[in-house]
Amino acid sequence: MTEGIIVSGLAAIFLAALTAPLAFRGLGGRLGPILGLVPLAVFVAFATLVPKVASGTAHREMFSWVPSLGISLSFYVDGLSLLFLLVIAGVGTLIVWYASGYLHGDRGLGRFYLYLLSFMGAMLGLVAADNLILLFIFWELTSITSYLLIGYYQEKEKSRAAALQALLVTGGGGLAMMAGFILLGRMAGTYEISALLTLPPGSLSGHPLFPAALILILLGAFTKSAQFPFHFWLPNAMEAPAPVSAFLHSATMVKAGVFLLARLHPVLADHALWVAIVAPVGAMTMCVGVFLGLGKRDLKQILAYTTLSVLGTLTLLLGLGTSLAVKACMVYFLAHALYKAALFMTAGSVDHETGTRNVEDLGGLRHKMPLTAAAALVAALSMAGIPLLLGFVSKEYFYKALLDADGPPYLWEVLGVGASMVMLALAVLAGIKPYWGAARKTPKPAHEVPWSMAIGPILLGACAIGFGIFPGWPGDFLVGPAVAAVQASSAPVARLALWHGWNTALFLSLITVVGGVLVLRVSAKVRVAEGFYRFLASIGPERVYTLGLAGLLRVGSWQTRVLQNGYLRNYILVTGGFAVLLLVVCLPDVPFRLDFSRMVPPTVLGVSSCVLIVAASVVVCLAQTRFFAIVALGVVGLGIAILFFLFSAPDLAMTQILVEALTIVLFVLAFYKLPLMQHRSSVATRWRDAVLSIVFGGVMAAMAMIAFHFEFFQPSISHYMGENSYPLAHGRNVVNVILVDFRALDTLGEVTVLAIAALGIFAMLKFRRSDKEKPQS
Amino acid sequence: MRSLILDTTTRFLMGLLLMFSVFLLLRGHNLPGGGFTGGLVAASAFALLAMSAGPQTARERLVVDPATLIGVGLLIVLASGLWGSLYGLPFLTGLWGKDSLPVIGDPGTPLLFDLGVYVVVMGISLLIIFNLAEEEGV
Repeated sequence: MTEGIIVSGLAAIFLAALTAPLAFRGLGGRLGPILGLVPLAVFVAFATLVPKVASGTAHREMFSWVPSLGISLSFYVDGLSLLFLLVIAGVGTLIVWYASGYLHGDRGLGRFYLYLLSFMGAMLGLVAADNLILLFIFWELTSITSYLLIGYYQEKEKSRAAALQALLVTGGGGLAMMAGFILLGRMAGTYEISALLTLPPGSLSGHPLFPAALILILLGAFTKSAQFPFHFWLPNAMEAPAPVSAFLHSATMVKAGVFLLARLHPVLADHALWVAIVAPVGAMTMCVGVFLGLGKRDLKQILAYTTLSVLGTLTLLLGLGTSLAVKACMVYFLAHALYKAALFMTAGSVDHETGTRNVEDLGGLRHKMPLTAAAALVAALSMAGIPLLLGFVSKEYFYKALLDADGPPYLWEVLGVGASMVMLALAVLAGIKPYWGAARKTPKPAHEVPWSMAIGPILLGACAIGFGIFPGWPGDFLVGPAVAAVQASSAPVARLALWHGWNTALFLSLITVVGGVLVLRVSAKVRVAEGFYRFLASIGPERVYTLGLAGLLRVGSWQTRVLQNGYLRNYILVTGGFAVLLLVVCLPDVPFRLDFSRMVPPTVLGVSSCVLIVAASVVVCLAQTRFFAIVALGVVGLGIAILFFLFSAPDLAMTQILVEALTIVLFVLAFYKLPLMQHRSSVATRWRDAVLSIVFGGVMAAMAMIAFHFEFFQPSISHYMGENSYPLAHGRNVVNVILVDFRALDTLGEVTVLAIAALGIFAMLKFRRSDKEKPQS
Repeated sequence: MRSLILDTTTRFLMGLLLMFSVFLLLRGHNLPGGGFTGGLVAASAFALLAMSAGPQTARERLVVDPATLIGVGLLIVLASGLWGSLYGLPFLTGLWGKDSLPVIGDPGTPLLFDLGVYVVVMGISLLIIFNLAEEEGV
């Protein structure tokens, strides 16, 4: 019944992505509502897995891909994966609809959907993958598609820079993660996550390479989830259109790092380094996020910084790693995905309808945009952790986990409550202030958004209320199985509940509300301290990124200047000189003997063509006109062709003659356009070139003679190919069989390189031509 | 500058060279020849025309743009490689028909591969030759 559901779901999403640009040409603005049905169907299909997974059985699908490297197209959906799958597909559906309103009339909408759905597919694949390498491929695919999405407004320089920054930071972390995966796979002997999870606890953490693998994987997770000090790319990524921020930067992509930490929690968490790194980094991000958010006025910036803080919170909880902390993490993830996606969408709606995102310029919008205001209110209250909303439940569990955790006394509690206070203030600022109070004059006269942009926030808000009042349902079917998966145990997880009695956590919640209101009152003053925040930015980690990127570009242009200076003679000099150097270093270790016993007796024709080649080469060097030199070069080529014939290689000889002929044609075409031949190089340079040429020729000859005495395989490769050419490849011409069958992949590569070279020559000629035409026009 | 002798010989040689190039391609699997040499011979036929009647005429006679030839050739090569994948075999696995033909021998995916090489090589050579020939003098 459920067989193949994951693969078909992924295929449907990617297919929809690929057809979106074409469908947009036909359907135009009607495309969005129809296209949203695809992720909706996928969501429903995945939801049918809930009973099976909730009963403790993981859903698996497996297809062989590169068995020799241990890479397979295998999917493993347990409670954790399913929670993420449903959030991605569910929020994704709403985002597709929202985008159809937000980008209404945008001519690039087809392209946008291509990127957005590709991203969705990659993200779904990432959380469902069972194979580490497969996970890595989807991981990088999310980086690439997010690059395209952040840079969607490609004419804006800021958005291009932000896209590149996100790509470099998360892509760089992804590469570190791949190295970590390979180490992990080598240690465990498998790349299948499901197999890693069933290893006995502690079986890997004693391995000497384990710390290296752990740190590399953490680098990947931290860059993706924007943990301090890699946090700076996330606020910059707000250059993206609002639907992208709502999808990638709240509910999905930035959670990939958290997902990875949770996924590999059973494998990695029993090492001292995990506790020492993950929890402090998470706590740091949690505090830095809200602190920097206080200084912002832009709606999306405020939301971005609170997202940072939440990512820190989730990381902190996974770092603590207790059963309660993992549970708090999963509830918090669900609550945040719901309210933050809604808030990003309402922020986008406000921007779309009023033309500004500055909090100070907004107020009283509830009369003009009642639906948006209501949805934003619910989401903001959930974010603030007010009772009867899912955000309250998640904050209660967060506090309980902090109270329960080991570590320095009161440290986690103080940090957690402090961050939540500021979070509450920012929630009011971003989700309530624009809609209440006195109406302000906005650049565009505000009015309510179309249904496509309202349905997302409203449904997400409804979920926040429904799950908040009845937390038992998502607790049993979504959160509980996820917690069991993260802990790799089948022990039943206590039910989620709204009311836990009069306990310390509730008391902390009360403090949070009171403190949050106080923070809100002083926040206006904090936002005045612009100079202070600018100073912080100038010494922050982003500075390291900026300097590093500038340095990289400088080194790149320096080495291009030195090595790629455009003079053919320098290229030959460098290539030849380097080859000689390498060979001279390596060859002395090889026994060198000249053995003439197997030499073919010289013939008159052979000797005379050798003499001809040498004589013609000397003529080339001494020629005073270009024409003479070309003719002499042609003689060299034909002499070599004769040698090929003599040693029974008719194919080579034929090719050589044809190439010579076409070279002459090319020369003739270029001939009259070249300047007169002059001796530009000094005598010393000519001597240097002569010495290098002779040494290069000598070394090559020596190498050929040495190679003649080596038989690397028994019987030799040429023998094998001669024997099998006809039986295996139905051809008697061994040279051709090698080219088109035995080593066809090499040929494929070669013709591709040739094609690229031809395009390069074409571009060079065209470029020169347009260069010349410029002054005339 | 047009040369009557070159024009006349080109008219005869064009057809012969093109037929010879196809001959080289088809016999390549069993006897000297193949896609690479065949492609070069075919390119030289059009190069000859470009020299006698000008690159514009040669382009018109070729009908297809050389750049298109390169793309089509690469696609043919790729298709010959993917043929086996239809049967679940690894990329570039050779497949042959049952019957033998004169000159060609056993027709199969390697011949298709060679055809791709022929088209690519022809496209590359002509792309460079035509563009060089159209280059204005310095």
